Amino acid sequence: MPGDRVTNLASAMESSADLVARACRGDVEAFEALYRGHVGRVYGLCLRMTGQPEAAEDLTQDTFVNAWKSLPGYEGRSSFSTWLHRIAVNAVLAQRRRPQGRNEISLTDDTGEQMDFAEEPAMDAATPIDLEKAIAALPPGARDIVVLYGIYGYSHEEAASMLGLAVGTCKAQLHRARHLMRAHMKPEAAS
Amino acid sequence: MTTLPFGPRDRELDPLLAKAADLPKDIAPPRDLWPAIAARLTATPQRAGLRALGWPAALAAGFLVASVSALLTWGLMREPDRAADSELAGSVATVPAIMPVNYGPHSALGVNDLATRDQLLVQFRQRLDELSPQTREAVVKNLAIIQRAADEIDAALAQDPASGLLNELLLGAYKQELQLYSKVVTSGGDSTRRT
Repeated sequence: MPGDRVTNLASAMESSADLVARACRGDVEAFEALYRGHVGRVYGLCLRMTGQPEAAEDLTQDTFVNAWKSLPGYEGRSSFSTWLHRIAVNAVLAQRRRPQGRNEISLTDDTGEQMDFAEEPAMDAATPIDLEKAIAALPPGARDIVVLYGIYGYSHEEAASMLGLAVGTCKAQLHRARHLMRAHMKPEAAS
Repeated sequence: MTTLPFGPRDRELDPLLAKAADLPKDIAPPRDLWPAIAARLTATPQRAGLRALGWPAALAAGFLVASVSALLTWGLMREPDRAADSELAGSVATVPAIMPVNYGPHSALGVNDLATRDQLLVQFRQRLDELSPQTREAVVKNLAIIQRAADEIDAALAQDPASGLLNELLLGAYKQELQLYSKVVTSGGDSTRRT
């Protein structure tokens, strides 16, 4: 019944707020429950932004450790999930800035030559796995905005804030990403 | 070239973006990451009361303020270079006007603090014409650093007015401004004077 759903939702929200409050006070068990509830989204975000499962695992760990350290400063202005995502995006961006960072998806081949999208086999946009591949093949800046705006539903303003970019830059990156993805997929499937 | 719809409804209008929105948000990691995280938590104390994530720019600006005066010190302490000064004397008009720092609406500085600053500012302005162009430029650069810090800290204070650390950072910026003026007022002067 709708009433039950509302009650369950309210109960879940209360439970989540309670877990956050307990974790803020240093309760590791409460933090583990938060981890269990959010790890899929955090790992998904890290995996899509880096394209590398091992790096995504490390970054997911970093995200939760950083969240633990910063929990006393969490004031609930945004949802816990959004707050966690901000930390994850920061971790990914910090990893990219490291000179000896873990390798990103490379748009160059083994000889250092730029790979040509047109030489890649065209993919069918109807299947999500191919869309994931098309997103993973994007350059990092364009990929970031597709992941945050396209997949996780953040607004341009929110994504720009997370990425430390101007809103206009995010919009331009999204436009570029859409062109690249279209070029990478069968025109008839993408239209 | 293909023209793509662009605007607030691009999620709905672009089939690729629509499909992206339908992708699963959650992806389970291939192994349980909790044991490794838990091991790191025991060695990681929480930052009690520190609200660092809300104002990294303010923190960075606060640290930047600590570097203020290095340029000025160089200007005040350097050996006189009269030839260079003569060449530069004519370009003094290109040095931007020196403006005191504006601390913004969320600053906890009181009227007395600003009055103290203004008194020192009067003495500082009296010495201003005696400064070489390089030193004036250094003063302008230092004030710009302090202003930027004050702006960042003020923006952070708007969100977290009770933060002791932010207020300390603001006080640090204020003290740096006073020290900057004081350094000029109390400097010997020979090496800073224009020929």
